[in-house]
Amino acid sequence: MAQSTATKIALYVILIAASVPFLYPTLWMFFSSFKPANEIFTQPPTLLPREWTLDGFVQVFTAQPFVQQYGNSIYIAVIVTTASIVLSAMAGYAFARIEFPFRNAAFVVMLAAMMVPSEVTIIPIFTAVNSLGLNDTHWPLIILPIFGPTAVVSVFIFRQHFLAFPKEFEEAARLDGVSRVGIFFRIAMPLARPAIAAVGIMAFLRSFNMYFEALIFLRTPENFTLGLAITRYQDFYGEQMWTTQLGAASLTVIPILVVFLFAQKQFVQGLTQGGLKG
Amino acid sequence: MAFVAPQLLGVIILGLVPFLFVIWYSLNEWRPLTGEMEFIGLANYEQLSSDPTFYASVAASLLFGVAILVFNLGIALSLAVLLNQRLRGITTFRTIFFSPVVVSVVAWSVTWGFLLAPNGGINGFLKLVGINGPNWLGDPSTALISVVAVQVFKGVGMNMVLFLAALQSVPEEMLEAAQLDGASRWRSFRSITVPMIAPTILLTSILTTIGSLEVFAPVQLLTGGGPGDSTNVLPFLLFRTAFVSQQFGYASAIGVVLFAIILGLTLLQWFTRRRWVHDEV
Amino acid sequence: MRALRTKVAVFALTGVIAASLTACSGGNAAQSGPVDLTMALWSSNEAHLALLNQIGDAYVAEHGDEVSSITFEPVTNPDYIAGLTTQIAGGDVPDLAWIPEASGPEFVKEGILYDVSTVLESADGYEVDDILPAALTPWQDDDGSIFGYPFSNSPFALYVNNDLVAAAGQPDVAALSGTPDYTWQTVTDIAAATNAATGAAGLNIPTFTPTNWSTVTMLGTAWGAEPWSEDGTSCGFDSPEMVDYLTWYQDQITRGAIPAVAGNAAPAAFASGDVAFSIAQLSQSGSLDDTFDWTFLPLPSGPEGYHPIVGQAAVSVLERSENKDQAAGFLAYLTNPDNAALLAQFFPPPRESLLNVETLSQAAPKLSPEEIQAAIIDVVPVADVKAQNPALSQFTDKVRAALDPVWSGGDVVEATTTVCEQISPILEG
Repeated sequence: MAQSTATKIALYVILIAASVPFLYPTLWMFFSSFKPANEIFTQPPTLLPREWTLDGFVQVFTAQPFVQQYGNSIYIAVIVTTASIVLSAMAGYAFARIEFPFRNAAFVVMLAAMMVPSEVTIIPIFTAVNSLGLNDTHWPLIILPIFGPTAVVSVFIFRQHFLAFPKEFEEAARLDGVSRVGIFFRIAMPLARPAIAAVGIMAFLRSFNMYFEALIFLRTPENFTLGLAITRYQDFYGEQMWTTQLGAASLTVIPILVVFLFAQKQFVQGLTQGGLKG
Repeated sequence: MAFVAPQLLGVIILGLVPFLFVIWYSLNEWRPLTGEMEFIGLANYEQLSSDPTFYASVAASLLFGVAILVFNLGIALSLAVLLNQRLRGITTFRTIFFSPVVVSVVAWSVTWGFLLAPNGGINGFLKLVGINGPNWLGDPSTALISVVAVQVFKGVGMNMVLFLAALQSVPEEMLEAAQLDGASRWRSFRSITVPMIAPTILLTSILTTIGSLEVFAPVQLLTGGGPGDSTNVLPFLLFRTAFVSQQFGYASAIGVVLFAIILGLTLLQWFTRRRWVHDEV
Repeated sequence: MRALRTKVAVFALTGVIAASLTACSGGNAAQSGPVDLTMALWSSNEAHLALLNQIGDAYVAEHGDEVSSITFEPVTNPDYIAGLTTQIAGGDVPDLAWIPEASGPEFVKEGILYDVSTVLESADGYEVDDILPAALTPWQDDDGSIFGYPFSNSPFALYVNNDLVAAAGQPDVAALSGTPDYTWQTVTDIAAATNAATGAAGLNIPTFTPTNWSTVTMLGTAWGAEPWSEDGTSCGFDSPEMVDYLTWYQDQITRGAIPAVAGNAAPAAFASGDVAFSIAQLSQSGSLDDTFDWTFLPLPSGPEGYHPIVGQAAVSVLERSENKDQAAGFLAYLTNPDNAALLAQFFPPPRESLLNVETLSQAAPKLSPEEIQAAIIDVVPVADVKAQNPALSQFTDKVRAALDPVWSGGDVVEATTTVCEQISPILEG
């Protein structure tokens, strides 16, 4: 629909005004990493540093094994995302397409599990993790997101998608003698790209920014993930190193945003095609 | 069956079984540092029912839930509509609105802490237009809404993208046909677009409700539950009860109640869905 | 299907066993043969850990038949007690742990800490009497048991930004120290004037948040205000002295001498140069340099005189440790006069023999000998430990909620009355 120039300008104005609370904090976080430690508290507060310094950033790497922590977060997120996609797609497909006994009951069970907050169940899980000797390892951080209650949302999304799927393809394949597994991997999944994109991005972000679980299960800095590491920048006397924390946070955020900037077309367009319109 | 088994079992073992343990803990008095566990039946729940802090916490949680739901969905839908235009640079704005989703919640909360300070960025900006901003986090009447704002701005981008996808799947032909029939933009939005994206609204509504009742980090970092008990939401109360007051049994009881509230609100939305979602969900 | 069901059953059983093992704290018989000891602490500072490991290694070398290794495990949770509690609840009980003074009385009363008095008193050359009574008493029972060694006794002091104060045309505060004019009122007058003239913060207490209210109430001792009675069973918040003190404090916020309280958000750091006065311990000096001229002074006097305050950290053996005797042995070694001198490089010690300028200047490299003498050496023997209560963790949040109105100009009498209404039942036990 064509628009008048006036409307266009109005739209831009609204968009720019609306952007402020979304963008300004991130910008402030980014620029403050370049400030000397004390400038964060100057009155009145500044956005751009009066004095540019890389001290904050240097300390990001010297105070903690940041590179290793970055690597930890990435490899964990990759494993979690891949496994999540496969397993939740399988479950979503089953709920949408396979008549299995107690299907409705199972669905309710999954719904219920989704509502259990993690702060509530962390103690029994911690006890079990401890007794299995998996304390301070990455195993709980991998197993929990893939198999735990947070995966239910992904199952939801896949179920939605497969429900809207035309049945003719599968029926044709079934007549040709293709097995259930074959149908799933060769027909259903390739056409499930939208849901895969949505679930993949959500799973990746959730894993990459994970804080609470990392806080409970991890002890040595070399094992930390980024969400936790950001909060651990303290100096000799235990005082917070604010600019370093903000610097670490900026380093965590920027790559993801860049990826999103380029990949968002797939993400959004993907979601459009029969994903969630029901 | 095998298809669903791994996920289903995982969810049972890692979600429901621990919760059963939590129910068991709530029937005991458990001081973790001494290791003593004593069965006391429903005494924790009795204590809860006469604890004014608990009721204040439930009230705060419900206020949070409603406020976040209304603002998050409202803003997300508005932004999605705004972004559903063919404008140059629209993808940049899309990224901007989505960017807080990617930032770690701790960094986001800490940054807002600086901005919400009495002499912080927000009041500095207000001073430029001649307004003396309040003490956002220290004033009982503004603390809750400040934390709500922090949480909403963080999460709204995700819902916005979901709505945007849903909006873009509304067939153009239908909207054009309506326009030809003389329907106003608002009319076609209300009668065509909204019903078509209703399943998405339902999904985001349920997820946002659940998320809003589990908000923890901004409260811990910005207000510590105060002023008074105005931001002392249930997950935070649970955390303090368990780890500061060292009362694991009592905290577990709070956890069970929190789950019940989440369950109740979710079922409410799920079972009234037929009223306003017409496609099978 | 059956295989899966069995797996589920096994997992659930493991969980039940694990949980019940935690619940039934075991007094296992002391192990024979050398054991591995662990100590939980909140510092991950490399220098601290290096020193502790050095002392640990020396101990193992001498006592290898009892102890084969000592591991120092920092609890990485910023909330130390929360992290320690999670760890212990999950079944991982360290043998020794650092204990903050706020938790001391509760842990002693609940029997969480092991009495090491016999071990300490019988250790060669240990010199229990060298430990200042003021420092040790909070960690003792009436019958002479000792539940922890207070390795850190850090006084609260007044940091003054001399440049800022002078820029506002105010008198030299360091010169006032020691004279009868060195009072809280004088200091806050100067703070208010500095704030009015320069816009900088007047007097702040960096560790104060509404959650951490005790860092304000502790200063009330200079008004004769105690939050609770000596035995901890009756509430003192609604006493006239406390009401006077809190009203005074509130007035200071109103007139700008003390910055407004804004939730848990971080306050301005003294090191930024934009704060005139700061109440903090030794550790804050670590972030200071000579960007501006500053002094470290003892606390001023109030209407009821001079009441210095000290914050403590102790190291203790946990009652639930399976290696209590070996752990106690290491504790005695770690805190004997020689090693205590090494620890004093970082933490102000409780041993009288170590309270001298040479030892302390290592822990306080940025302070002058006069400052060390006046604000640490003269203070530690006579200071009160921050007010403690065995039930503190049970009511601290209730105090916070009831006291919040004070910081934002609310009715002080009403707030303090509510505090006492809320916590009296808990105090009485």
